[in-house]
Amino acid sequence: MQKIAISGLNASDNPASGVAVAKSLKDEFEIIGLSYNPNESGNYLDCISKSYLMPYPSLGIDALLLRLKEIQRKEKIVMIIPCLDAELPLYIKYQESITNLGIKLVLPNEKNFELRNKNRLHLLSKKLDIRYPKTEAFFEMQKLEEIEKHFTYPIMIKGNYYNAYKSYNQTSSHEYAKKICNEWGFPLLVQEVIYGDELNLVGLGDGKGNLIGAVSIKKLTTTELGKVWTAVSIEHNGLLEVAKKFVAETLWRGAFELECMVNKEKMYLIEINPRFPSWVYFATALDINMPKQLVEMANGKEVTPQLNYQTGKMYIRFTDELITDFSDFSTLMMKKEL
Amino acid sequence: MQQLNQLILDENGVAFHPMMGNSYEVNTTGRYIIEALKKNQSNDEIIVELSKRYKISTQELYIDVYDFISKLKMYGLA
Repeated sequence: MQKIAISGLNASDNPASGVAVAKSLKDEFEIIGLSYNPNESGNYLDCISKSYLMPYPSLGIDALLLRLKEIQRKEKIVMIIPCLDAELPLYIKYQESITNLGIKLVLPNEKNFELRNKNRLHLLSKKLDIRYPKTEAFFEMQKLEEIEKHFTYPIMIKGNYYNAYKSYNQTSSHEYAKKICNEWGFPLLVQEVIYGDELNLVGLGDGKGNLIGAVSIKKLTTTELGKVWTAVSIEHNGLLEVAKKFVAETLWRGAFELECMVNKEKMYLIEINPRFPSWVYFATALDINMPKQLVEMANGKEVTPQLNYQTGKMYIRFTDELITDFSDFSTLMMKKEL
Repeated sequence: MQQLNQLILDENGVAFHPMMGNSYEVNTTGRYIIEALKKNQSNDEIIVELSKRYKISTQELYIDVYDFISKLKMYGLA
């Protein structure tokens, strides 16, 4: 069995996509977990055969390459599927150094990655022929008050990578801005609130302008953080067209998620995430296994586009429990592998 | 009408819109009206048919049917 390494093993109420990707691949590949914290629940699941603790992305490429060399010596992994926003810039920038270790990656290039950056999305949305909510970026806290005058409440206060809060007044705006900034830094964004139905699409681009996999959903219920709890599969032609234009325009290579709001005939682009979403296993269950397509791409196989699936299928997330020995936790913490 | 034609009516009296993922609870009369509209029957034809079926005056039905259709429009379905 080929070994595929996957990050994003956090499977809490704000889950990353690692476990969903592992579930999609576990029948045909051995999954190696790349974890940033022994508390990440994916480390202890059966679908992940071995886990390694990784240095935080903020430590830079030298620390990452050193760790990957150690892991590669033991595991001979074929490919890494990075599943976290914060680590992607490093993996994308240093694709060549990582592939020189004999590890395959299927990622967009730096230029294409930057095109979908939140503070440049208004430019891309014009090319994709989709509305984009009025948005202004700021790089210092003093500017927030001035920018707020250009909007009417409520407004969204968003981080460039993570987190978004709806604010109803100046006091809460500042509170949220500080909260996001302390964790993720600048730039921060002020964005108008769009009302309507939230529709999401997970897709896969082949890097030649073709969409080779896609599934759309409507979130029916979410957690307080806006993370999907129940959803239904839909077929929204407008959303699919935006996805096709996106991969054609950017020659996107790899996974992505479109987040849109639809208000009657008006569709707004909210975000483009450069990785699989945490609900990607829903697509796998609908017979569009995009993580597997991604591995096939990495292995140089011809991948058949898969865009047809059943609508009206329901996705239900639920909590589960797992009991293991504390020594598993301590082994991972102290020996950096389990 | 394009949106209405997409509605899928299931055996539980729920109409599912596969493009938007919305679902609507409809009673048997609502179901009849939706199915009739999908077959391109006119509003008047629907009223006459319901009048025969339920033995209610067309005048009384006129208000109810148009009220239902205006709700479909409100939801962007008709």
